[in-house]
Order: sequence, then C-alpha cells, then structure tokens
Amino acid sequence: MSDRALRLAGAVVALAGIAVAGYLAWAHYADSAVVCVAGGSCEKVQESEYAAIAGVPVAVLGLAAYGAILALIAWDTPVARLAAAATAVVGLLFSAYLLVLQLFVIDAICVWCLANDVLIAPALAVTTALRLRG
Amino acid sequence: MATRPGSSSRPSRLAVVLAFAGATAVAVALVVVALVFRDDGKTSPPTPTPSVELRGIPQDDRLLGDSAATVTLIEYADPQCPACRFYSENMFPALVDEYVRPGRVTMEFRGFPFLGSDSVKALRFVYAAGLQDKLWQLQEALYRNQGGENAGWVTDELLREVADGIPELDVDRLFVDAESDGITQEAEAAEAEGQAAGIPGTPTFLVKIGDGEPYVIQIASIDEMRAALDDALAG
Repeated sequence: MSDRALRLAGAVVALAGIAVAGYLAWAHYADSAVVCVAGGSCEKVQESEYAAIAGVPVAVLGLAAYGAILALIAWDTPVARLAAAATAVVGLLFSAYLLVLQLFVIDAICVWCLANDVLIAPALAVTTALRLRG
Repeated sequence: MATRPGSSSRPSRLAVVLAFAGATAVAVALVVVALVFRDDGKTSPPTPTPSVELRGIPQDDRLLGDSAATVTLIEYADPQCPACRFYSENMFPALVDEYVRPGRVTMEFRGFPFLGSDSVKALRFVYAAGLQDKLWQLQEALYRNQGGENAGWVTDELLREVADGIPELDVDRLFVDAESDGITQEAEAAEAEGQAAGIPGTPTFLVKIGDGEPYVIQIASIDEMRAALDDALAG
C-alpha cells in the first residue's frame, strides 16, 4: 500500500472518529435530543458518572484525539507521524479503559461509544504503519 | 503540501521509545485523572421550587386537566430518566400553561419504570399520590430531586421531604398507600405493561383524540410538541 493510500485511510478513519465523537459530544450537551431507551442504552452510559472528567465529556477528548490524528496525518513529517502514532496509543489505551467500564462497571453498552472506541484500532494500525515507513 | 518524510529527519530510536513510553504514561495518567475526577452524580443538584404551578388545574388520579378536553397527551415516563426530567423542567411548564390550563388538552401519566429498583419505588409513591389527586405535583418534585441511576436516591427521607412541600397532600396516607398491595403490584407491573405496549424508552408520548386510538408522536423540541398538539386539536 502506498504512503498516499495509507494517509487517505488514516484520514478516513480519523474523520469517522470525529463524526462519532462529535455526535456523542453534541448529544451530551443537547439533552433535549436524547431519550432513555430500554435495554442497554447510550443514555445510561452517557449519563453515568464516567461520561465526563471534571465536567469535560469523554466524547470531547475523543474529538480532540481524532482531530489531532487527522492534523498530524495532514502535516506528515517524521515527527508528525511519530506523534500521530503516540496519540493513537493513548487513544487505544484510554478506549480500552472505557470499554472495560461499559462492560463491567456501568453494565451497559452504548453502540456509538463502542464505535468510537473500536475506531482507534485501525487508526493506530495506520499511524504505526506510516511511522515505520519513516 | 506536506513535506515528504526523509530518512535524514527520522526521529532517533531513543525518541521513538520515549514517545511510546510517554504515550503509555499519558494514557495511564488520563485513566487515573478520569477515576479521580469522575463526575460523581452528574445529575443536576435539586431544584428547590416547582417548575410549574399546578394549582387550579383539575386532577383525577393520573389525569391532569379538564376532563372535557378532546385531546389527551399520554406520557410514558420513568422517574429516574434524565430525559424525562429534562422534559419536566423545560417543556412541561409551557405545555401546561398553553394547553392544559386553558382546558384544551388533558395529560395522562403512565409509568414505565424500566431503569431499576429506584424507579419502581418512586413510581409506587407517584401512583399513591394519584389517589389524592396530587400525582403531577409529586412526579414533578421527584424530577427536581432526581439522583444517580439506582443509587438509592429514592429514600423515605427524600420522599417525605418532597411530599411535605406539596400543599394538601396527606403524607402519612401517601406512605400507607404506597405500601399497599394494589399500588405495589401496579407499579411492579408497569414495566411489563409498557413493554407490551411496545414502548421503546422514556419519555414516549402518545396523542389520543376523543375515544380514538392513541398514536405515538416523535418530538425533539417543544415546537414539535406544539405542532403535534395543534394538529390533534385541529383534527
């Protein structure tokens, strides 16, 4: 796969992450748009005490991470590639923590949150591949 | 244009190791910060005063408003649901003033306590308040004092404090009624009834015109609710 194709794939994944995290952040602030849904819902996850850190929704952190990855892929210097991969590592580990919370602590799965957590894996794969190429 | 990475500007092996070690450290720090600074009880603090004035509006058990009104707005609600609280505090007061107080629309409360044990307990008291025609005041007051989901916030102390603030509500009778077999069974069965009715979550709204079949309305704003009620009133 060419560098160009890899960067394009990375940009697509980052944009998808921005879209999902953006929706979750919007839903967090726009209470009027959400309802409580029966049987494992975003509401339970989004309303849990883990959905925000000192008032900052975790969705906003996701938005910042995917935004940074996208910007670093666009910048595309060796240092930027290293920084993108490092950001994806942070994202992967933090997403793993959020997944554990959903599965074992909050005991509810939010599909949108899950999508956001899972998207970080291809983001890490692409940024690592770019980093290894130089 | 992006600069094409060249081998001469590649970060050193040490820089790479430091970057990934740093990333891991940042992630661990984030998790620690997240655990320490998690928003305990993200739900808003209690609001001391009622968001709506219900005095002077007829109530009959679960109904609010003039029984002669041709349009009924049915609400399936869970006292623990934050979205129901949002509706109660931000849309319900205006709808009462515009549609219920003038006698155009009647509201009907239906419990759907699907979120857990605190929901069922709260619903027992809400239904019991209905026996004294004070259901709407109590459900509104509980939303104002809503706590974390199934955190045990529906305590006897909270219920007594909230009930004490409702004029003409016999609090001792409320507690007796809430423990009665009939009300207990009604509240416990409410979730199954909501599921049987195909209620996906809360709040779910239905509109009934006269004795017609109720139909579900999808609303995301008070203007959409007004449009749905105006349509029903015109039809």
